[in-house]
Amino acid sequence: MTARGRLAWLDITAVIAVVGALVFAMVSPRVESQGDSARMLFIHVPTIWLAYLAFAVTFVASIAFLVTRKLKWDLVAGSSAEIGVVFTTVAIIGGMIWGKATWNVYWTWDARLTLTAVMLFVYIGYLALRRAIPDPVARARRSSVLGILGLVQLIPVHFSVTWWRTLHQTNTFRPRDIQMDGPILAALLVSVAAFTLVYAALLRRRYQLAEMELEAHRAAAAAEGPVAGDAVSAPTIGST
Amino acid sequence: MNSGFWRQAMAVARRDLERERHAGEVVWVTIPFGAIALLLVPLAVGINQDVLSRIGTGMLFVVVMLFGVLTSIRRTNIETPPQRDAIALLGIDPVAEFAGKTAASAVVLLVFEVVMAAVAVALYGIDISGWWWMIIVLPLTAIGLAELGTISGAIAASVQAGPALVPLLVTPLAIPLLLGATQTVENIDPDGGNLSWLVLMAIVVLVLAIVGVLTARPLQETR
Repeated sequence: MTARGRLAWLDITAVIAVVGALVFAMVSPRVESQGDSARMLFIHVPTIWLAYLAFAVTFVASIAFLVTRKLKWDLVAGSSAEIGVVFTTVAIIGGMIWGKATWNVYWTWDARLTLTAVMLFVYIGYLALRRAIPDPVARARRSSVLGILGLVQLIPVHFSVTWWRTLHQTNTFRPRDIQMDGPILAALLVSVAAFTLVYAALLRRRYQLAEMELEAHRAAAAAEGPVAGDAVSAPTIGST
Repeated sequence: MNSGFWRQAMAVARRDLERERHAGEVVWVTIPFGAIALLLVPLAVGINQDVLSRIGTGMLFVVVMLFGVLTSIRRTNIETPPQRDAIALLGIDPVAEFAGKTAASAVVLLVFEVVMAAVAVALYGIDISGWWWMIIVLPLTAIGLAELGTISGAIAASVQAGPALVPLLVTPLAIPLLLGATQTVENIDPDGGNLSWLVLMAIVVLVLAIVGVLTARPLQETR
């Protein structure tokens, strides 16, 4: 199978998995205490999981770039951060809709909500930095540092529900203390797996696009002819 | 690390502190501006003394964080590209440069924090029964902000949108420091519950130091 064919299969599998997961979520038993609004769980938890996963991939790829100096790792880091920002936004909006149904407010100064919003801004800053640096190598070196630093923010976000006893429920996945009915847990795990496939498909597509952008940048740089006086310049270091 | 490393770090720190002594930017601009910010808050939220003493510690650290971030960034961004190239060509260890710049920024920030704390206590009537926590919290905040400012300043050095970009990069990352500082000072716990917040701050400071040390070289190569 060609690379293009494999990509198409990944896309198709991801779409089918998400549709299947949503059907599974709709037919799963109703949570009596919250009614049908609790079905937001099957969207909210996978989206925030994807946000964590995407930013963790950005962190690992940033380290990989600094160690190997291969630009492909920077492309993975940038692509993953973009997807992470999208899914964090979806998670926040989904959480707000769910919050309105259960707490009767869209927003409350809950620690998890607030810190998740802060995390979103960390990675918006990361993407803004990437856009501000045109040279691919300089961009990779600088943004990889921020990609590593961003993980500092993930720690208080994840533990916020333990550190502060506020409105948000404690972490959904606690291996030693599962307080969820079997069918609901199964539907949730299927949903998480399906959304993870979506992440893989999106990351592959975005990475492909990033490669094309890099090629276009190189072609544009090569097309620029030498300018008179270019040969004479002040001594500088580095690649920028 | 050999004595050469520390000598270089001390030289960089001394240079930055000398610059600050000559320019007097923190003393004559940042401290008065921070004091004005603390003065403006009661005008906006009301002058009820109970409210002010309740929010005083939080306001102090918000001002310290926002103005501290700006101070720290400013201190790391005053070098021109040729100056940065000259430092690299002189063979100064990038890690020593990071350590020196961070140390100088931390000293300046600590002075800023102490003055702001005194102003906040005077204006807001903050309960200072737990002041001894400040002896640990203020230096940790100063070191953490200095590390963040130095790293972010290096990341955004020579970037056209750098001055606008760096506050967006630094401020969200400084949130764990703000939380640690306010929670430690506000929740005075005789059983030592504040210690966990200090540990959080110490971990953040340590992680930032590790990131700063490990990334000093690639960041110096780039600029």
